[in-house]
Amino acid sequence: MAGVRCGDDVSEYLSQNPQLAQWIESFRGYCESNKQWSARREFILRNMEAFPTVKPGTCSSSLDRLLSLSMVWANHVFLGCSYPQAVMDKIKDMGEGIVVQDPPVHKTTKDGITARGKRSAPDDGNPEGCVKRSRTEADSRPSGRAAARSAIQKSGPPPQAPAEQQPFFNRLYKAVAWKLVSAGGFGPNLDHFEILRSCVESCKQTVTCVFVPLKDIEGLPAGRTQKDGHVCEIRCQTVYMGTGYGRDEAAAKAMASKEALKVFQGRKVTVKICRRRYRGREVEDLVLLDELPRTQGFPPALSYPFQDEPQDEVVSPRGGKAGPWTLIEKCWTPRRIMFMS
Amino acid sequence: MGVPAFFRWLSRKYPSIIVHCVEEKGKECNGVRIPVDTTKPNPNEVEFDNLYLDMNGIIHPCTHPEDKPAPKNEDEMMVAIFEYIDRLFNIVRPRRVLYMAIDGVAPRAKMNQQRSRRFRASKEGAELTEEKNRMREEVIQRGGYLPPEEIKERFDSNCITPGTEFMDNLAQCLRYYVAERLSNDPGWKNVVVFLSDASVPGEGEHKIMDFIRRQRAQPNHDPNTHHCLCGADADLIMLGLATHEPNFTIIREEFKPNKPRPCSLCGQTGHEIKDCQGVARQKQGEHDEFAGAMPAAEQEFIFIRLCVLREYLSRELTMASLPFPFDFERSVDDWVFMCFFVGNDFLPHLPSLEIREGAIDRLVSIYKDVVHKTGGYLTQNGFVNLERVELIMQAVGVAEDNIFRKRKEDDENFKRRNKEKRKRMKAEQQGPAFMTSGQFAPQALGRRDRPEPVHNARYQAYDMRMQSVEQHNKDAAQSLKSMMRNGGRSSAGVSDGTDRGVKRKCEDSDSEPEPEDNVRLWEEGWKQRYYKTKFDVDVSDDGFRKKVVRSYVEGLCWVLRYYYQGCASWKWFFPFHYAPFASDFRDIQEMFSEFEKDTKPFKPLEQLMGVFPAASGNFLPPTWRNLMMSADSSIIDFYPDDFAIDLNGKKYAWQGVALLPFVDERRLRAALADVYPDLTPEEVRRNSLGSDILFLGRSHPLFDFIHELYRSETQEEAPVPAELCHGIQGTLNLDDNPILPDETVKSPVPLLRDISLNSSINVKFRDPQFAEGFVFKAVLLPGAKMPSKVLKPEDYERGARGPWRPQLGFNPNRQQAHLDQAGFRALGHSLPRAQQFRGQYSNAAPPSSYHQGSYSRHAHSSGQQHFQHSRQNAPQRPPPSFSSVPPPFPRQQQPYRGGGHGWDRAVQAQRSAYQQNLSRGGGGPGGYQQRYDQRQEDWGDRRDNRGQQQARGFPLPPPSRHIRWNN
Repeated sequence: MAGVRCGDDVSEYLSQNPQLAQWIESFRGYCESNKQWSARREFILRNMEAFPTVKPGTCSSSLDRLLSLSMVWANHVFLGCSYPQAVMDKIKDMGEGIVVQDPPVHKTTKDGITARGKRSAPDDGNPEGCVKRSRTEADSRPSGRAAARSAIQKSGPPPQAPAEQQPFFNRLYKAVAWKLVSAGGFGPNLDHFEILRSCVESCKQTVTCVFVPLKDIEGLPAGRTQKDGHVCEIRCQTVYMGTGYGRDEAAAKAMASKEALKVFQGRKVTVKICRRRYRGREVEDLVLLDELPRTQGFPPALSYPFQDEPQDEVVSPRGGKAGPWTLIEKCWTPRRIMFMS
Repeated sequence: MGVPAFFRWLSRKYPSIIVHCVEEKGKECNGVRIPVDTTKPNPNEVEFDNLYLDMNGIIHPCTHPEDKPAPKNEDEMMVAIFEYIDRLFNIVRPRRVLYMAIDGVAPRAKMNQQRSRRFRASKEGAELTEEKNRMREEVIQRGGYLPPEEIKERFDSNCITPGTEFMDNLAQCLRYYVAERLSNDPGWKNVVVFLSDASVPGEGEHKIMDFIRRQRAQPNHDPNTHHCLCGADADLIMLGLATHEPNFTIIREEFKPNKPRPCSLCGQTGHEIKDCQGVARQKQGEHDEFAGAMPAAEQEFIFIRLCVLREYLSRELTMASLPFPFDFERSVDDWVFMCFFVGNDFLPHLPSLEIREGAIDRLVSIYKDVVHKTGGYLTQNGFVNLERVELIMQAVGVAEDNIFRKRKEDDENFKRRNKEKRKRMKAEQQGPAFMTSGQFAPQALGRRDRPEPVHNARYQAYDMRMQSVEQHNKDAAQSLKSMMRNGGRSSAGVSDGTDRGVKRKCEDSDSEPEPEDNVRLWEEGWKQRYYKTKFDVDVSDDGFRKKVVRSYVEGLCWVLRYYYQGCASWKWFFPFHYAPFASDFRDIQEMFSEFEKDTKPFKPLEQLMGVFPAASGNFLPPTWRNLMMSADSSIIDFYPDDFAIDLNGKKYAWQGVALLPFVDERRLRAALADVYPDLTPEEVRRNSLGSDILFLGRSHPLFDFIHELYRSETQEEAPVPAELCHGIQGTLNLDDNPILPDETVKSPVPLLRDISLNSSINVKFRDPQFAEGFVFKAVLLPGAKMPSKVLKPEDYERGARGPWRPQLGFNPNRQQAHLDQAGFRALGHSLPRAQQFRGQYSNAAPPSSYHQGSYSRHAHSSGQQHFQHSRQNAPQRPPPSFSSVPPPFPRQQQPYRGGGHGWDRAVQAQRSAYQQNLSRGGGGPGGYQQRYDQRQEDWGDRRDNRGQQQARGFPLPPPSRHIRWNN
């Protein structure tokens, strides 16, 4: 059988091999829609060569294994199931290159959904009593989206992300406000990072800091003599909050936290999708804003959690306008991504 | 039925079906518990013949109770189960049959639901442990107190599945239990006990139905058998109605709604684990006297009388001027069928039919309209007429649009009212006053941040005070505003334009964000979105939709057949996670004809592979377990680690749909064929299909017959002689390892003793068999006598008969409240008697102190007459010295004053005796009476005199002579 082929080729191939087509058709599940079946059929055909003992027209345990893996793949793509790591690794390779249009998106139990309302007295529709829905549910929803899919998809934050994130940041806003009250107000002499971290933790989430050494960033504006130092970008729940620079990582982090806390000084905070530069190109990013109009743009992004591409890909030269921190040729990777617990 | 709200709806709509159980409790004497004598008549004033127990409804609450501490080990669980059965036996007191049915391997259609439950339970258990540990650490760090954690294995409730060792042990323990009771408990003497354990395929309740159905079909069945079925499932009500037996009652635990569950970390109610602070419980009231109900209060039971439900239904379903003769039994079957549409264990319910929205009422009214058009009933003996069903579905389909819109409106109203209520509650409930908040809150030591000194304490305190005041004002203003806005509108009323369609952006960020609803059934285009979101198909894909509808139609036929005839196909299941819309039911007549014949159930271990997640693999042999986890397994796709849960418009995860893949039977069997040889002999035994067992005691008429069978060592089946067993038929086979009389039966539970002199015997039992294609008729049997009506007749005239007195129990002439003889004697000690009255009840008069001195009694009722007699006729003689003796019951006055009436009523029944005694003047029990009479005079004197001498006039104790009599 030939190598990689796409959907059209599959049907063409099958029309040339009617017996094979018929045999394969017998594996279609009663409940599979056309779309699901054609994707899974492609998976089976592409991988048949890996199972040499599979002979068309006969049943065997290796055929069953192939069918089982095809179901694992299909269940993963269409139902949102995930399996033990070894199994997932297997199907990841096997399913490469298969394009599925608009795969469904699901919230799985890892997103804390089972914590949503315990099995209280079965008075459904009556949420009184002590049932409170889990807070982690809403907050971890976007992470469900980042589940590995071999389908190619658009990069960028999903359009509904701001609405989903807003409640969490409203809560965070309150937490920060109270924290600052007890700290005596926002000022230069606070441990900004600690304040931010503890507030985020009280809302049961984590802060993500990405560090990049200054010298790794190309195209810095002229006049910057110090090449030593670090830049830190702070995100929470993939929403960008602030960037800071300092001699060492701690200083960079502190400055970034201070910038982040500044956002909370307004009357409210809003999560929005804005354009920023990331590695020399314009991207859509999730950003936390206060209510004041933003005069200047954002500093370039150091991390971009909305795509599948690995971070250390070589970016080909764009040859476009050189702007602040535009990456020309060299690639840089964030040295350390610290997840603060 | 998978509809928890069904029973609530039913009991609210038809309230008289419920009767509270009277339970006679055992007495305790010197620390020894005296068991109740169940040979006595049933205190519920009804005699039951057969008691059927759906054992899974007993096993689950006894092994992992929700509101009590769990039993520490398996033996304690068994004892708990035995005690529960004893309790039920005591309440019901069956005189002929006790049938215990444990769930065996279920049909495939049910296995999907079981699979979903077990996968979810496994996930929840793991999450709960994790959260508990995390919170426990946090709370302790912060200085809260928690009871020490017991290191015990978490009981995996997934082991309550046929084929596990646990279920095998349970069957052994139940055999011991039955033998013990048959040998030692007099109430069990003449009862036949059937035990259908987990090795017999079929769900418990359906095994029971099968038994009843098959007995009904054989000619010796007593049509007036009084059945009592124990179980909490709402579909037992459906099953009971489907039998068409005139005397059918269901017993279940009374469900007390809204009981908050205690936090599993600290054991207190009012918060959940994640909010636990490890704080001591707040006292309610100075001495904690306002604390809620005692946590260990015992569950009460209720009866559900299906004959009363039938009365209600006959009013509801009666249709006039039909083109064909009206047959009530047929319309009951149709009602049962329509109840399936709002929910059952085998099919997801249609999105437009929610029981809370009155779906059943809607269906019934459509049904009554449609029946004129269709010219007949929807079902017959459990077979569905699809053409007529289509008419009903189309009528529902037309209303779907409105149903969805109204649902959204009601939802919004409800949420708004709730939010306001919660705001109010929050303002009131700040948590225990001794817990500080804000920067004064306790901070854990030893963590990264050093606790900061308190800043600006005075300012902060002031601030907090003002905050709460402001909040109060704000809340008050808000609620006033909203009241004015919504003033006068009923809760179900139409919201005005400002409310409709407004997307609730969380202005109050404390409330949980609403789950994203991609389907939005209340907006235009809902059908498209539903099929796209749930099935991932275009609404134009007609072929696919037809597939879904066809499966659903098959499902409806299967479910009805299951209830009326038994399992039509062990293999059939509904292969989708969602239901279609009612409006999609078009041309359904051709969609279904027959089920595949000669299907067989899975064997127990095979079934375990089909319902267990990988996390419960420890219940399976090692090579089998490997199939659930290895990447080389040809069935690894059946066991995802993580899966999606679609709330599907519901609030809670347990109501949502778990998107699990369906098990492919062919591949499962093929994979197991390789590992079958690895089974140990023990496992082979557990994996085999078993038979029902019949037990009886020595004094039962059938005993000798069975004993003879064993002695003759016959290999053939023997039919049960009808006359020896109340008309029950079936065939008997010798058990390989029977319990025989006069032998010792060892106890499998270390806590309980061996039975040294067993007088019970057991044998294998098989239900009567019928020819292939035999149809069990859903009719009233000839000779069946309907029980007397209970409901108030619609044409009841409140004339000479007085107001309608509802019947509260099984007996229309039930004794309401009454005193036993001992009660009257106790009263008699302290109460004065008029000389006029003789007999035991003559001292039912309240003390005369009431009508002397300052306590003048105004005439209340005729009861007073008697007392006045006494006053008039009492001779005036001074009493002997009493002053040294204190009045016995100084508080007696209170109850009697008001209680004059109650007493009166209680005594009404005794009135005739009373009158007799008055006139008789000298009758009554023996010597007691004579001496009594002597005292009358004295007493009367004392009483009157007392009234003159003492202002309070309490009845004084009788002289010691009096006391002596009553020993």
